Amino acid sequence: MKALHKKSLSFAVSLLVLALATGWALAAGTATEAKAATGTATVSGTVTLGGPAPAAEKIKMAADPVCLQQHKEPVMNEMVVANGGKLQNVIVYVKDGVKGAYPTPTTPVVINQEGCTYHPHVFAIQVGQPLEILNSDSTLHNINAQPKLNKRFNIAQPMKGMKTVKTFDQVEVGVPFKCNVHPWMNAYAAVLNHPFFGVTDSSGSFSVSGLPAGTYTIEAWHEKYGTQTQSVTVADGETKQVSFTFKAS
Amino acid sequence: MLPVSFHKRFHGFRRVFFGCALLCAAGFLTWLALPDPTALGKEPPLPPRPSPNLTVGKEAFENNCARCHGLTGAGDGMDSKRMYPHPRNLAAGIFKFRTTASGTLPTDEDLFRTISGGLPGSRMPEFQRLPEETRWQLVYYVKSLSPAFQQGNQKPEPVDFGKDPGPKRADLKRGKELYTQLGCAACHGNLGRADGPSAPTLVDNWGQPIRPADLTHGWSYRAGSSPRDIVERVLAGIDGTPMPSYIDAISSKEDAWHLAYYIQSLQEKPRWNRSLEAVKLAGALPATADDPQWQKAPRTDLRLSNTLYREGELLPTTVTSISAQAVYNDQEIVFRLAWHDPNETGTTPPDACALLFASDRHLKGQLGSLRGWPASAEAPALDVCYWSAEKKTAREAAVHGMDGLEIGTEPGQPLWSEAHFSDGEWTLLVKRPIRPSSEPLLFGVAVWNGGNGEQGRRRSNSNWVDLVLE
Repeated sequence: MKALHKKSLSFAVSLLVLALATGWALAAGTATEAKAATGTATVSGTVTLGGPAPAAEKIKMAADPVCLQQHKEPVMNEMVVANGGKLQNVIVYVKDGVKGAYPTPTTPVVINQEGCTYHPHVFAIQVGQPLEILNSDSTLHNINAQPKLNKRFNIAQPMKGMKTVKTFDQVEVGVPFKCNVHPWMNAYAAVLNHPFFGVTDSSGSFSVSGLPAGTYTIEAWHEKYGTQTQSVTVADGETKQVSFTFKAS
Repeated sequence: MLPVSFHKRFHGFRRVFFGCALLCAAGFLTWLALPDPTALGKEPPLPPRPSPNLTVGKEAFENNCARCHGLTGAGDGMDSKRMYPHPRNLAAGIFKFRTTASGTLPTDEDLFRTISGGLPGSRMPEFQRLPEETRWQLVYYVKSLSPAFQQGNQKPEPVDFGKDPGPKRADLKRGKELYTQLGCAACHGNLGRADGPSAPTLVDNWGQPIRPADLTHGWSYRAGSSPRDIVERVLAGIDGTPMPSYIDAISSKEDAWHLAYYIQSLQEKPRWNRSLEAVKLAGALPATADDPQWQKAPRTDLRLSNTLYREGELLPTTVTSISAQAVYNDQEIVFRLAWHDPNETGTTPPDACALLFASDRHLKGQLGSLRGWPASAEAPALDVCYWSAEKKTAREAAVHGMDGLEIGTEPGQPLWSEAHFSDGEWTLLVKRPIRPSSEPLLFGVAVWNGGNGEQGRRRSNSNWVDLVLE
């Protein structure tokens, strides 16, 4: 009998605690949604490499015939991709000035291992957004993610078509991904808590749109040349040009 | 018409109401799942463990661990640079040997096991000599060295390793299939000799060169070579190294065990010996490595080590053991040596091997370790047989050092030799004339892996062993 009383009591207490917790969570959820406002301002521009770009190196894939056979042309290292002085693969994002919290997209960002290279080579993802890691090669890849703030992982994907979904829970720019089996394979991610980012294309261009009016710190991040920041103020509907130049070293 | 705000509020209420209803259900289920409080006493008691005392732990750490791991655990102790693998930076919060998911921290038991059992094949010794209580205090102290144990997002997530089917139910054929399918050979090689195509390029998370385990050398598996140990490494991965977690890649726990039993079947039992016993044959001596006459000659396995520093840092070598056999007749003696090398290298610097002979057993003390030979210019000359994959020939000379033989300035006497490389293994036969009256009594081996840039004093060395003519 005594045990039954204890059980009933614990039931009642757990119910109360859970009810309070959920009520709070729902209320918080409502508040979050209310804050997540996008605007109509845009920051766009180009990233330039000042000085001669280092010669791209040919990747030696001979160690794995599965990799080698997939390429007719030599594959070049993607560390510095500069076309006519315009720097590709620079993550440009709002570092400071974003107010409120933005919803977590449920659509995954896909990183594909194909031809023994990562596609894309650099990307941005939001906190909590699923990252789908896909192996399109008929060979073993290991995905060795080495963030400093987020949880690390090193997982094997030995079969073609294998998918693994991971998420990151901390804002962190420059999370490296490596494949130890194929040491030339690497990729970088920026984990952000808002959707205001872009990655420079082959013409070195980026565009960050949907910004609410305000003053922002914009940072450009490159895996070799590091970071640069600029401050920019935009009004509703305005498009501002911001350009960055990294010194070739 | 109701004001909009009412609608919003109403929706809000409805949400909370639904939330509560959901919680009622959840709470009920939780209640059902709760154990009867009176039944809790029946749980088997946990083994007693001391409560943490960081003062005791700190003292034990300073006395036993700091020499290698450093006072702050950063892996920078006074002996750390002379060690390969380097001592772990305990402050980084990255631990190799865990029973937990990739990227998560080890359990207390995992740390306790590493401290108690050591890591074979590395310089981490076992600490069984310390009382169990002290080892637990070391666990608590090690955990206090890294902020990772205080942060929330790397909490140990124990992995389910399934059930050991036992050796009789283990399916080695399935295990072998999995070994191929899962790409184990990319690093560990087809026969497990650490000679996979990716082996020479592997680096750890700090960019330091790292070798895959030679799966035929069970004695060198860092955290144990039993099927259970292997399942743990395969499913949890070895954090900080290229070895990934296969938890999502292996579809069933049964398969993980089949693979583990197959890997165990690759292990060869070592025959560590202080002497090499040469067997006398009546007729012709074997001219090939697979001559059945070799079965008559007992094998001696020799551990190899290195001590070469450059600016205070150890230059790691890759060959960690060598198997030796010898047979002789009235005229000649033939040595058969076999060692694992990830890639055949005939160019400069080439793969190479030297056999060293000293005619007086009492020289052992004077010679010092073979690693340091020649100790000085006054050191006695030794007979050295030097073979390299570049010239595919062997020569012998009485020399004060091996440099001359290596670079070809010492003419020396040509010797008959026969070498063969396959699947990550060199097999070398070397024949020299026998001199029964003054037959050398001390024998040593040095090996160079040219593909790893090894030459000169950067080499793997055995200890001196007695050569015994039967």
